[in-house]
Amino acid sequence: MKKKLTPFRKAALIALFLIPLLSTVSFGQDISVTATVDKNRLTLEDTLQLSIVIQGTQNTPPPELPSLPDFQITSAGTSSSTQYINTQRSVSITHNYRLTPMNTGTIVIGPARVRANGKTYSTQPITIEVIKPSSSGTIENKTAFIETALSSKKAFVGEQLVYTFRLFHRVEAKNLDLKLPFDKMWFNKEELGEPKPYTRVVNGLQYNVQELSIALFPLKKGLTEIPPAILELDLLYRTQNRSGRDPFSQLFNDPFFDRGIRTEHKVLRSQPLSVEILPLPDGAPKGYKNLIGIFKISAELGKKDLEVGDTTTLTVTVSGQGNVRDISFEVPDLKNQFKVYPDKPEFNQTIYNNQIRGEKVFKFALVPLQAGNKTLTKFSLPYFDPENAQYRLAETQPVTLNVRPSSVKEELNLVQSGQQNPPMAKPEIETLGTDILPIYTELDKFQSYGSYSSAFMGVGFGAPAILFIFSAFLIKWQKRMKYDVAYYRHRNACKNARQRFKHISEHSDSRELGREISEVLREYIGDKLNLQGRAITAKEVEVHLNKSNCETGHAERTRKLLEKCETLQYAPMTPGNTKELLVESENLIKVLEKQL
Amino acid sequence: MKYSSAIYFFLFIIMLTPAQAKASDHLSDHLSEIVRANGLYSDKHYAESAQAYETLVQKGVENGYLYYNLGNAYIRMGKIGPAILNYLHARKWIPRNENLTANLKFAIQQTKDKIEPPGTLSTPLFWINDLNFNELVGFAIGLNIVFWVNLTLWMYFRTPALKTLRNVFLCFLLLSFVSIGVKIENESNLKLGVVLAENVEVKSGRTADAVTLFQLHEGALVTVTDKHDNWLEVRLNGEQKGWVPQNSLGT
Repeated sequence: MKKKLTPFRKAALIALFLIPLLSTVSFGQDISVTATVDKNRLTLEDTLQLSIVIQGTQNTPPPELPSLPDFQITSAGTSSSTQYINTQRSVSITHNYRLTPMNTGTIVIGPARVRANGKTYSTQPITIEVIKPSSSGTIENKTAFIETALSSKKAFVGEQLVYTFRLFHRVEAKNLDLKLPFDKMWFNKEELGEPKPYTRVVNGLQYNVQELSIALFPLKKGLTEIPPAILELDLLYRTQNRSGRDPFSQLFNDPFFDRGIRTEHKVLRSQPLSVEILPLPDGAPKGYKNLIGIFKISAELGKKDLEVGDTTTLTVTVSGQGNVRDISFEVPDLKNQFKVYPDKPEFNQTIYNNQIRGEKVFKFALVPLQAGNKTLTKFSLPYFDPENAQYRLAETQPVTLNVRPSSVKEELNLVQSGQQNPPMAKPEIETLGTDILPIYTELDKFQSYGSYSSAFMGVGFGAPAILFIFSAFLIKWQKRMKYDVAYYRHRNACKNARQRFKHISEHSDSRELGREISEVLREYIGDKLNLQGRAITAKEVEVHLNKSNCETGHAERTRKLLEKCETLQYAPMTPGNTKELLVESENLIKVLEKQL
Repeated sequence: MKYSSAIYFFLFIIMLTPAQAKASDHLSDHLSEIVRANGLYSDKHYAESAQAYETLVQKGVENGYLYYNLGNAYIRMGKIGPAILNYLHARKWIPRNENLTANLKFAIQQTKDKIEPPGTLSTPLFWINDLNFNELVGFAIGLNIVFWVNLTLWMYFRTPALKTLRNVFLCFLLLSFVSIGVKIENESNLKLGVVLAENVEVKSGRTADAVTLFQLHEGALVTVTDKHDNWLEVRLNGEQKGWVPQNSLGT
């Protein structure tokens, strides 16, 4: 039965259909199109955000961008907005693009065109200046940079070249998009495994390095250039949130927790690399099949003493550095002495020291047809050795085998007639009765009962987390002691001073004593306040102590003691006084230790 | 000082294991009582045996095999309702026990209504029905320890492998917490009841003179959905539900 719609329901339904329609229609609002960029001056390592804002409508096709050969353009999505101010409704849609500069210089982004309501709207042109990165050519203090290298600047056609790409980064890098532009007319390429991560110190700065190696095989002679590699990436900077005292804020500063991270999008470029491709010299030996590298070949026979009709396997193994995969052998011509059944070759590739190495194994099943001593023909492999720039020939050793006449008469396999016994019918077991299964009497089954206590669960779930917090603080403290020199000096200042006081003899010459005490005190204060302790004067020590919230009396006392030590250089003291001075110095350090 | 604190801390953890926390004093008494009850059962003194098992249950001994044996004793006595009820209690602790499944099935076959236990709401978390609460908690504690140890190692070494493991363990840990939550929800909301009386009339209201909707017989399984005064609201399926006196049902 059909239900009749009430007027209210009708109105609601109409509104439901109209709202999406109305959202894209402008009520006589003027349409305007503007283009904005997030910066006018950028380096080759930066990207430009171009936003085209269409006010007054949201129902337009995407803007037609001007020709921008100096930029690589990537869409960065669209966003739309609807605003109601009093009774006035305004709509807009923004198309965002990410522009990656490809060249330096002053570049004009021409007008972008938008078609709306049968009209064409254009944006104003925008002038952009693209400059080289500030420290182009050097890697000083860069957070991230890339470099590329070739194993050799000269290579023969077909010789393996190793192209190495390295990303150096001091902060975490994400969303890596690497473009390694190779001219396929010039090179064949082959990946040399996964990127290798390691760390390296450059100009005293420690970098994480991701190294990717690619084998390039030149295809034709001539001088060519490998264009710069371009890597787009996001660098993640960990921000120190000092406002909160939450100890976990630094602990979990990780993308996993999405906290304390600032992202910077970068485009890194390497230098272009030139390489000269040399042709192979004349005089290639007969049977040469463009093999370039260094190869070894060996042949091995399974059974060397067999009867006519038996089978033995001839295994030919070629291994070496170069294009082993391309090696092929014809079925050996054995002059009707053997039946030969070739097997599918097995190929294994390994990468050692950024060089492609391989091993290809050819197997032939041989069935001798005649008795007697047989010698198999040698397998030879001509190749070009690029290191010595000459052709070479690799050969197997001759293989001999003894074939005896067959001792067994061939027997027919007698086959039974096709009559089969009918399958045995599965016996059906009649159920005579049902009963329950017996009780459990093993006492060990009754030893545990009840749920875990809440204390046990609390410890089980809480203790690992508490231990983790302890460990995390310990790890952070260890790292701080390792990398934060000021902290390390501050923590060890008192210990070092006390050790040095132990070695100062109260009976030594008062001049020497004064010099040593002065040195220990200055070094202690230097360590505490992260200053170059020995170079500062007594007055400067007082100033620094006052600045560091040390009580004025102690700062003054320190200055006076240091001045006293300096005076000792010119006016010697009696041994009793020197002991007092030593004790006073030690006491002063105890007092300062509480203050600093 | 630091080392001694750590030792005391670990000793504290060891002392809190459930067996030691609950059963240290009474375990031997309980075991001797179980031996006696098993002996009575073997000697076919099923009523005395059931009484001995019941005494242990009343003392707070919750063990799957104890409930199973008690169920067997009631079956032998011809009391199908209490037998099914104890098998259901046993299933909470030993959910994968084949003998229990077989005996429960046998007991249900002996009833007039032959109602199978209803399914639970944990179809995507299929392992919940096969693990008891302690096993789920134990598994979650194990995962918790592994996760935090991994997180500590990752804090120190920061290798991609440890980071991946950290995320994997966190996912599993969260899943184990969800499993525990669903288990608790199932056991509290899907409370099963067994008809203990020979014949019980399911009423439309909480009075004896209300309309009788349908009849249930001893051993019939129902889901208890509400309780009011001395009446329980029971549900057979989506449509058949009503009220029964509390004393006619075991939960």
